[in-house]
Amino acid sequence: MRNWRWVSVFAVLILVLAACGQQPGASEEESEAPPPTGSEAPAPSEDGGTAGEPQQGGTLVFAGARLAASLDPALTSDGESFRVLQQVYEPLVDLAPGSANELVGVLAESWEGEPSDTTYVFHLREGVKFHDGTDFNAEAVKINFDRWQNFAEEFQADAYYYGAVMDGFGPDNLIESVEATDDLTVTFTLRDPSPTFLFGLALTPFAIVSPAILEQTNADDPASSTFGTEVVQGGTGPFILEDYVPDDSAVLVRNEDYWGDPAYLDRVIIRPIEDPAARLQALQGGSIQGYDLVSPTDYEAVESSDGLSLMERLSFNSLYLGLNPLAEEGSVLTDIAVRQAIALAIDKQALIDAFYGGRGSVADIFLPPSSGWYEGVRAGVDDENTYPYDPDAARALLEEAGYGEDNPATVHFWAPTGVTRPYMPDPQGLQQAVTTMLEDVGFVVEPDSSDWSTEYTSAAQNGNYELHFLGWTGDYDDPSNWYGVHFGYSQGEPAAQFACDADGLEDAINTADQTLEEADRAAAWGEAANIIHGQVCFVTLTHGDTALAFTDAVQGYVPNPTGSETFTSVWLTDGGE
Amino acid sequence: MGKFILRRLLLLIPILLGLTLLIFVFIHLLPGDPAIAILGDRASPENVERVREALGLNEPLYQQYLDYMGGLVQGDLGRSFITNRDVVDDFLQRFPATIELSLSAIIFAIVLGIPLGLVTAKQRGRWVDQVGTVASLIGISIPIFFLGLMLKWLFAIQWPILPDSGRIDLIEYYIPRVTNFMTIDAILAGEWGGFIDALRHLILPAVALGTIPLAIIMRITRASVIDVLNEDYVRTANAKGLPSGIVDGRHILRNALLPVVTVIGLQTGLLLGGAILTETIFGWGGVGTWIYDAVTTRDYAVIQSGVLMLALIFVLVNLLVDVSYGFLNPRIRYS
Repeated sequence: MRNWRWVSVFAVLILVLAACGQQPGASEEESEAPPPTGSEAPAPSEDGGTAGEPQQGGTLVFAGARLAASLDPALTSDGESFRVLQQVYEPLVDLAPGSANELVGVLAESWEGEPSDTTYVFHLREGVKFHDGTDFNAEAVKINFDRWQNFAEEFQADAYYYGAVMDGFGPDNLIESVEATDDLTVTFTLRDPSPTFLFGLALTPFAIVSPAILEQTNADDPASSTFGTEVVQGGTGPFILEDYVPDDSAVLVRNEDYWGDPAYLDRVIIRPIEDPAARLQALQGGSIQGYDLVSPTDYEAVESSDGLSLMERLSFNSLYLGLNPLAEEGSVLTDIAVRQAIALAIDKQALIDAFYGGRGSVADIFLPPSSGWYEGVRAGVDDENTYPYDPDAARALLEEAGYGEDNPATVHFWAPTGVTRPYMPDPQGLQQAVTTMLEDVGFVVEPDSSDWSTEYTSAAQNGNYELHFLGWTGDYDDPSNWYGVHFGYSQGEPAAQFACDADGLEDAINTADQTLEEADRAAAWGEAANIIHGQVCFVTLTHGDTALAFTDAVQGYVPNPTGSETFTSVWLTDGGE
Repeated sequence: MGKFILRRLLLLIPILLGLTLLIFVFIHLLPGDPAIAILGDRASPENVERVREALGLNEPLYQQYLDYMGGLVQGDLGRSFITNRDVVDDFLQRFPATIELSLSAIIFAIVLGIPLGLVTAKQRGRWVDQVGTVASLIGISIPIFFLGLMLKWLFAIQWPILPDSGRIDLIEYYIPRVTNFMTIDAILAGEWGGFIDALRHLILPAVALGTIPLAIIMRITRASVIDVLNEDYVRTANAKGLPSGIVDGRHILRNALLPVVTVIGLQTGLLLGGAILTETIFGWGGVGTWIYDAVTTRDYAVIQSGVLMLALIFVLVNLLVDVSYGFLNPRIRYS
């Protein structure tokens, strides 16, 4: 009997604990209760626009999949890191809210320089202070750019974007010199004109850090630097990093001395919740008020929940089926008719409906419609080279090529395991669906897979996979970042991933890369794209949109196709009360 | 006893040395390349080569092992390939979260498991015992992720009396991290509300994590008590008219607890190794997900040093269990 007593004491203790917390829990619940459904109730809208007057104050708890890989912006290259760091650190220029291709000045008020120039002059904003109280000026910009150019080898591995935009590191890269012409003017001299230079500068890794903080944290010495790991006040952004506990939370507080309009929110707390289902439950349970990368399978759950809403982010990515005729001996892909049959056999819209919750668009070309270059490049690609779904034509082509029931065309089809990507929400499901479509027109498909994070991408890029899924999320809006990165030649050799060596392709890509005037550049890339699609070196499948979810109390979030988003414009309908 | 402990501690040295080699070999037998894991879809051959060079992965294997051991004897357990953070710092920051969760889970399991085991044993064959046996069977066989999601759905969403995830309500309480034990830090900050809130955050994950140990402890206790119940001294004690509380506590439980303590020790060691599923479901930043992530990204430095530290703790917990036998049963002699 005595033991039962202990059990009941324990049970009572749990209930008491649960009850003790009721009060804050209840007030939290109240604060997250949906707003009254009257005409004056603020209503969320698709574009992040809001009804009602923005209110000051409150704390937003937002979940991503992870926190930042490093607290040194230059050493990061993924969206989860950018999400934390771009609230704190700012680059010279940035993408306008919601736009993938319109640049606005941030730390630079204005600039002179065109894609065809080798000199860029940036006029810096006056009166900007770093969070540590030191002044932002031209010398600070120069110190940052010099630091990146002279990165130790250990850092170069992580400083992907500097290397990619500036053509490597050291004195011979794209940047010939950076001069602080006066306190508020910086002049960049490039070795060659670069159409991607300005857009590159808008990336978070090019954010300017307080030189005093760089020195204090020994930021240039890989062995002793604490810059990437310690909480420091080195940015100029709308939020100051107050606390950072890896795998637990990043706490950002409003920068009261911000040079622009200060943020509405008092605090933003970013939590890492890796599992999308757990993110949804956290939103439903009220411990967070918003999260990114809603799983397409949860779209309906969010939309049908009272007090929650889904916010769509237009795609800046593309899933494709890579075709490599040299990956395997005797590959049927050497025959262009077979490659065309594959392209025609795939019902891309069906993939979007089944795997992206119907949100996204058919990828007729590699560039997504959210790109400013889409129209120009698409105009250069013949309609027939976009291969609209036509299974009968696919069957006919295979037959003409000499394949039939007795002599089927067999392809080895690879998909990655252990990963989901915004462009690839369910690799195995997609593989199954495409396999069925290919089998339907007469192919024999041998599905295969390998581990994404340790094998897949490298094996595909080294040209080991005959038919394979892969995708791309654009770094910045330029066709070279799509077609150029994937199909550019290296020392006269085509990219190993596709072994795509069509007549005139190398010249077309080089010409496009060197064409700097915007309209001509679009046309030149259109020409290169037409060859690539015409030869079916790959089949672009989908541009999958992604989505965020919020409670209705959260207003003013502006999604950007590139994911470059800040919490500056976000406010809570109840001001956090 | 002192000698016994000293000898066991000295034995740690060869065990851990062997372990470093074992982990090292095992890691390098895993297929895959950390450089590819770091670069993801931007893993062009040139980038991969640059990262491999920077991480020292192009050195011969024996050289890499010697470099690691060289650092280890100087107390340098290395830095994460991904975050460049010191592995010991990262471990110390996460381990308190794991201890907090596993201790809560094991306390939940002990406090319910032992009394339930005792009761079901004493009621052997009756309905209480049958219900208990079925419940413990369900407890052992229910998958943690399912139980965790269900508990959350029930007690955080449908009937929201407990928080769904995390270690504290971040909006209500801002607790500076001193020890990284959220409960202790809340007390240090003088936030009693925060302390209660941290405890509330522990309930669901602790129940999810503690259910299997609870079922195991209950079954072992039941079996062990049944053995003891048949002993003469229990019958004598009952015949003497001793109060049932004294018979249960002094005569039955104390003699029946030895195997239970062994199981508790092993379970605690296992729980301290990190609870990947519970941590994932409840957004609990402990060592389980940390090492799991390191394995998936082939973050060699974290796997090597993280597993080594966990192994050390496992061995120490077991030592503690061995020592505790002496208190439970003075007849045991250490030699």
